[in-house]
Amino acid sequence: MVIAAVTGFPLIFAVVMSVSNVKVGGGGFDFSGLTLDNFEIVFKSEKWRYALAFTTFYTVVTVLAELVLGVLIALVVERLGASRGWMLGLLLIPWSLITVISATLWRYVYAAGYGVASWALTLVGFDDPVILGNSTSAIAALMVADVWKTTPFVAIIALAGLVSIPKELYEAAEVDGSSGWRTFWSITLPLIRSALLTAVLFRVLQAFGLFDLPFVLTGGGPGSSTTSLAMLGYNTMFTNLRFGPGAAIAVSTALIVTLGCLAFTRVFRAQVGSREG
Amino acid sequence: MRRRKGSRVGLAVATALVVIFLVAPLYWLFVGSLQTGDGIAAVPPQLVPADPTLENYVQAFGQHRFGRYILNSIVVSATATAVVLGLGIFAGYALARMPIRGKTPILMGLLMISVFPVIAVVAPLYLMLLKLNWLNSYQGLIVPYVAFNLPFAIWILRNHFLDVPVALEESARIDGASNLRIVTKIIVPTVLPGIFTAGVFCFSACWQEFLMAISFNSSISSRTIPVGVALFSGEYTVPYGKLFAGSVAAVAPIMILVFAFRKTVASGLAAGAVKG
Repeated sequence: MVIAAVTGFPLIFAVVMSVSNVKVGGGGFDFSGLTLDNFEIVFKSEKWRYALAFTTFYTVVTVLAELVLGVLIALVVERLGASRGWMLGLLLIPWSLITVISATLWRYVYAAGYGVASWALTLVGFDDPVILGNSTSAIAALMVADVWKTTPFVAIIALAGLVSIPKELYEAAEVDGSSGWRTFWSITLPLIRSALLTAVLFRVLQAFGLFDLPFVLTGGGPGSSTTSLAMLGYNTMFTNLRFGPGAAIAVSTALIVTLGCLAFTRVFRAQVGSREG
Repeated sequence: MRRRKGSRVGLAVATALVVIFLVAPLYWLFVGSLQTGDGIAAVPPQLVPADPTLENYVQAFGQHRFGRYILNSIVVSATATAVVLGLGIFAGYALARMPIRGKTPILMGLLMISVFPVIAVVAPLYLMLLKLNWLNSYQGLIVPYVAFNLPFAIWILRNHFLDVPVALEESARIDGASNLRIVTKIIVPTVLPGIFTAGVFCFSACWQEFLMAISFNSSISSRTIPVGVALFSGEYTVPYGKLFAGSVAAVAPIMILVFAFRKTVASGLAAGAVKG
């Protein structure tokens, strides 16, 4: 009996999850009494298209920046030797900070007039910068805040990959007279590739669900220039109380993510496979 | 050898840059929490507060109910973590040891669910909680938090169970121990670090979660910390000082905990990513 309970549990859990996913569609249909109308409304709406484009662009840029910065930081920390533990602790701190609090902090940093970032911009010649009042700079500001919070995650994973590379390989490369640059491209990077791939996958999926940061930092504005898919869905449902289209936005986001997951199935399978048997 | 000296200076500079990158925003949070109106809005910004005060802390916990938000967060996060660990230990053990059909799809499903965007399930959950009359209640957040955090906890725990030598279990079984007894008396003590890691992850995720919390629990008395901070506003201006004071109080314990157990937490983070 115990065995049945133990083995049955994950299966039951999977069923429960699938039921709650099905109900997303159900919620949408129940409210409108129609079938595909909500999706049609959503797909035809400018706002949805913009949110999709913005979320995709945002995801690509931030994840790329985090990847580059994360690897650089990992390379630095890896060389520290004994004090590596301290840096590890420091890296974990932004990761453990509540996103909403980090967003509030950045809002203060960007504040027009007295924010540190605004002040720094006046020093280099900008007159009264209003960072969050302009679409382009608001998007950039959002990205900077995100990169600060999540780069450490990538760095920690890259670091774990770096540490696992046998030292002999580097020694052999040095004996062969390989340059530092070349060693990095032909030894380091290929060997931490699988670790980085997983980090990127997790980050892409998280970035695609972007909500907390724009909710607090920009409120989706100015206009709706920083409204992500999740924010659009939330506003449609809870501010405008249009549950039908809101659910349709949610479901379409979920579908895109699921397709993304399936495209990356290989990565997930590699994860499972690497620990099997 | 020729490069050594140059690269050592380079390393020091790079390290300093990384430290500044990581710490500067947090320092600013802390400095802000010690300043009232004038200091907060000073131009140019004061890198060291001229007139530090604890007034913000007093007000954050007095009239602004930060104590209540923190209490709510503790109740929700701690309960969810306890349930996740209770269930996750058995599920993780089963997936590591028992012959289950379709193990690979289950594991892949678990990993995928753990990164699934919350927005996809907020609407149906909201309607369900509304029907149950569970909006603005502890259980209304605890149940979805368990559902969302269980998969990753199972994943971490399974990986740790895989590292326990099978011989240890077999000798216990020969001595006549039951499955339950083997799990509680032998396996759990040996994978304690894994349980700890899963616990920290689950707790930290619940502590930070915002979308579900603001959708389901937005009444003042049931707000968790992120909701309290996000919906916190003054009459005319944003009261950054008080906000930051409450925030520092809310995150400092977690940060100290994470810093103290940095090795375990970091290895847990990396466990999903580095080929074993």
